[in-house]
Amino acid sequence: METKAIELKQPAEWKIKWYRFRKNPLTLIGGFVLILFIIMAAFAPLLTPYEPDSIDMSNRLASPSAAHWFGTDEVGRDIFTRVIYGARLSLGMGISVVVVTGLIGTIIGATAGYFGGKFGQIIMRIMDVILAFPTLVLAMALTAALGPSLFNAMLAIAIVKIPVFVRLARSETLVVRERLYVKAAKTFGLSDIWIIFRHVIPNVITPVIIQITIDLGDVILLIATLGFLGLGAQPPTPEWGAMIHTGWEYFLNQWWYATFPGLFIFLASVSFNLLGDGLRDLLDPKSLK
Amino acid sequence: MLKVIKDRMIMLVFVIFGVSIITFMISNIIPGDPARMIVGQRASQETYEKVREQLGLNDPLFVQYFNYIKGIFTGDLGTSIRTQQPVMNDLFTYFPATLELVVFAFIIAIFFGIIIGVITAVYNNTKIDYIGRIFSISGVSTPVFLSGLLLILFFYGKLGWLPSSGRLDLTIARPDKITGFYTIDSLIAGDFNTFKNAISHLLLPAIALSYVQLSAITRQVRSSMIDILNQDFIRTAKANGISNLTLIFRYGLRNALIPTVTVIGVSFGSLLGGAVITEIVFNWPGMGKYVVDSIGNLDFPAIMGFTIFIAVGYVLINLVVDLLYLVLDPQIRE
Amino acid sequence: MRNRFLIIFMLLILVLSACSSNNDSETSLSDGATDESSTASDALTVSIPAEAGTLDPGVSMDNASWKITHPAYERLVEYDGEKTTVKPGIAKEWDISDDGLTYTFYLEEGHQFSDGSEVDAEAVKFTFERIIQIEKGPSSLYEIIKNIEVIDDYTVEFELENEFPPFISTLAASYGSIVNPKVLDFEEDGDLGQNYLSVNTMGSGIYQLEEYEQGQYYKLTVNPNSNVEPELKTVIFQIASDTAGARMRLEKGEVDIVEGIPTDQIESLKEMEGIKIEESPSLLVDYVYMNIGKGQDAMKNKEFRQAVNYAIDYDSIISQIMEGYAKQFKGPVPEGLWGHNPDLDMYTFDTDKAKELLEQSGFTDVTLDLLYSDNRPYWEELALMLQSNLSEIGINVKLNKVAYATMREQIDVGEFDLSLGVWSPDYGDPFMFMNYWFDSENWGLAGNRSFYENEQVDKLIREAASISDQAEREALYNEAQEIIVDDAVYIHLAQKDFIVPMRDNVKGFVYNPMLEGIYNLAEMSK
Repeated sequence: METKAIELKQPAEWKIKWYRFRKNPLTLIGGFVLILFIIMAAFAPLLTPYEPDSIDMSNRLASPSAAHWFGTDEVGRDIFTRVIYGARLSLGMGISVVVVTGLIGTIIGATAGYFGGKFGQIIMRIMDVILAFPTLVLAMALTAALGPSLFNAMLAIAIVKIPVFVRLARSETLVVRERLYVKAAKTFGLSDIWIIFRHVIPNVITPVIIQITIDLGDVILLIATLGFLGLGAQPPTPEWGAMIHTGWEYFLNQWWYATFPGLFIFLASVSFNLLGDGLRDLLDPKSLK
Repeated sequence: MLKVIKDRMIMLVFVIFGVSIITFMISNIIPGDPARMIVGQRASQETYEKVREQLGLNDPLFVQYFNYIKGIFTGDLGTSIRTQQPVMNDLFTYFPATLELVVFAFIIAIFFGIIIGVITAVYNNTKIDYIGRIFSISGVSTPVFLSGLLLILFFYGKLGWLPSSGRLDLTIARPDKITGFYTIDSLIAGDFNTFKNAISHLLLPAIALSYVQLSAITRQVRSSMIDILNQDFIRTAKANGISNLTLIFRYGLRNALIPTVTVIGVSFGSLLGGAVITEIVFNWPGMGKYVVDSIGNLDFPAIMGFTIFIAVGYVLINLVVDLLYLVLDPQIRE
Repeated sequence: MRNRFLIIFMLLILVLSACSSNNDSETSLSDGATDESSTASDALTVSIPAEAGTLDPGVSMDNASWKITHPAYERLVEYDGEKTTVKPGIAKEWDISDDGLTYTFYLEEGHQFSDGSEVDAEAVKFTFERIIQIEKGPSSLYEIIKNIEVIDDYTVEFELENEFPPFISTLAASYGSIVNPKVLDFEEDGDLGQNYLSVNTMGSGIYQLEEYEQGQYYKLTVNPNSNVEPELKTVIFQIASDTAGARMRLEKGEVDIVEGIPTDQIESLKEMEGIKIEESPSLLVDYVYMNIGKGQDAMKNKEFRQAVNYAIDYDSIISQIMEGYAKQFKGPVPEGLWGHNPDLDMYTFDTDKAKELLEQSGFTDVTLDLLYSDNRPYWEELALMLQSNLSEIGINVKLNKVAYATMREQIDVGEFDLSLGVWSPDYGDPFMFMNYWFDSENWGLAGNRSFYENEQVDKLIREAASISDQAEREALYNEAQEIIVDDAVYIHLAQKDFIVPMRDNVKGFVYNPMLEGIYNLAEMSK
């Protein structure tokens, strides 16, 4: 009887959430811009008239024109093309880092929460150590040590971000662990691994997915920041942060070089944050009262 | 309270070991031979071997690590390859500049964070709310390197109101070092001109840096404000005819600030991180600029020293936040 | 964008009013201060892109550090104006024995260190023995000194192990700076004062380092015991990595000289009022190292290397990337230094010939990696250009950009196929090019960065380094150069001009190619 009552309540709650989500114009704007970005990234080769890496020395540092909407850079590459490919790179890398990190974090967190005890303690201590850093500083130190490259930057960001997911998954697992069906599965002698993957993880995945969305904006900024410092993507990769790093040197004469990648970083990040903000409100149990 | 301190101290030891092991291992794998970097490209083989011996690079790895850890606990972080000075000295030279910038940015962020948070809460779901939120979200979405560069371009390049780099004009003598904060030191010396100049140099970088943290504080203040304004005692007070302003500041804000303390603590740590980029953009002679220069030179003693220094600082800040939280919220104390 | 400015602007107004300080007086204060610095005719401010390493002349091998210390020290001999030959310095005259092994210097009396003590023969002996004892960079140059003898207070004699004709020229470089023996008062753990001198100067130069604020600036003032009264009383080297900001400060007259501005921007700066561009031919050269000894098999093939040399569009590199402030680097020894051979048959841009040679070599499907870093702002463009040039003849190039320190390490051990590189000589002798760059004993960072080995070349250049007669040496070097060019050991890209933008009221700067990036402060004025 009791479980039935809960099931009845659930859809209503989601309806309210969905309603609130739709009602918030800022969240909607964020979502809309984001969809544009995803389309842009997915169809980059179709949208761009040039190759991102093809140089044209006779046409260097040209101002925006019909042929080059956003102008060209110091070796005559089309900035519009590079910015669009940059979207592909930032979104692609950003999403893959967060998803992979989210999954790994969830598995670690779920395992730690499920087994608890000494094992859980040790895991959480390690996570505490990682959390004892400002994210940027740790990511910088790691990429510096590993050697600057896009892959290492992603690796560093993944390491920095893992504790967030571990903590989240663990705390959810602690609740799920006490549920009847988990206990039942245990008494039936099912293996722990099976229980974790079949029962625990599916039940903690929803908040993790929301957290992934919230973190995406942050991760994209981190990638750009490391790129700006010369620790992330290496040229000639069309990465926004790296483009601004070079473009800024030319800013006084060629304003377009740094402006357009800057604008795109800003737009991408704002839209993720608006969306994330909306989602955060949904997650916050208080907002339903 | 003792337990909190004890927990954080244990944490500190963990952090030092964890961080040092990671950085130490990696620094021994990557290319870049410190001895070669010290002797230079034209030095002879014997010279090079001699420096290797001096640096203890021929010892087994675990001996090197043990020596390093021993150093950490006696305040010796090794010698920087780039500056040839003890890393600890370098860090203490650069630390006050970073701290001054961070503290200044912190004050700006809290001040505006609370104001915008309260306003957006009071005008919840109106145009004012949206503008305020977009403003603060823009902050967290704009990388410091972008907002900083724009600020320089506008306020220095176009208007010429504020200086673009450094802590003081080159023509102004540095105040005697007491705290290392140019603002405070110049006030102590009674030199008001230097003080003003220091403030003018601080403004742009501090604004750029604080803008990023504005959103986190605004969000927290806003949501706890909304929470409290909806609570019964506020409604009762309202019904009793207590004026709106008194209500907001006397009853609302005071209670809303308690959960904000944690966020503020976290944001102080993030400011330390953000300061790295700000220092690069504004040519601010702090630890961030030091470490980025060190990274470019593969100066591992400096990079490791900086990382450990920041980690320890971060743990200590968290300790302060924990304690503050205990003081502010008597309920937890029991 | 406009709106963002508006928002930021509003925020600033709020802050200003919140701080309750008077906005007008504050801004005018900072303006006033900067005006002062730009109009004061006895103060010069130079913006440098990075902090210098150690300032100890017995340790440093870096022009960035010599820039600051050179005016603070004197040497036995000095470079003469813009020439690569030497003139008397502390030594008013000198004798070289017939066998070229003994050098006797007669010191001029009256030179004083900044603490007032006399520069005498003991100080000279101390300086060079200190360098040899320290065993860092400069020691490799002076290890050939067998013995230094003080004859009397103002006469000192150097005895060399073997004949080394460039010796006198090395004494004019910054590592030949005479250091005050009192530096030993500051000795820590037997470091011969290295720690102290890394952030202080103790010389007899016209200037001395008065103040060094880490990460901010170096301030030079006049040495009170110097006999010369320079016009510039204060020289500040401001450490500013923000080149765009530095350029704005130059435009506003807040600094007088700015280093590190990308060549692309020189043209637009040139048109600006109040700014001039100092340019003069230099011995600063750009190479591409071709790893013959340790690179992949294709690199060992002479035809292949020649093909690579013919594939490069030298003219475009010079006109586009270097904006015309360079010429093709013709020959192992650059124009302007004796030993340069104008008759060498250098490589030109000839794609057909390159393809033909590539065909002959048999290496048709090759991918090379190209090593570089962000140490030079134009390297990125150069790397992309080379990549595109080589792809024209069917050679793939993989760009490998790393931290500068990593790059040096990889060059040293030979982990690359192609690598970008630059060189500028410290002393005026073809030894700096021929013996460093081609002797098989100098593999790696020491100089022979193509890991080249040719017995005949080794023999010729070693012989040229061991005799004193300039005509004979030149003949030997010429013979070696013919072989080297045919072997296509490096890609000789460009010989650049020295360019630095400065305010147009800065007068008297003379560029000496041996003193790359070093200012003749004592003769300059504003």
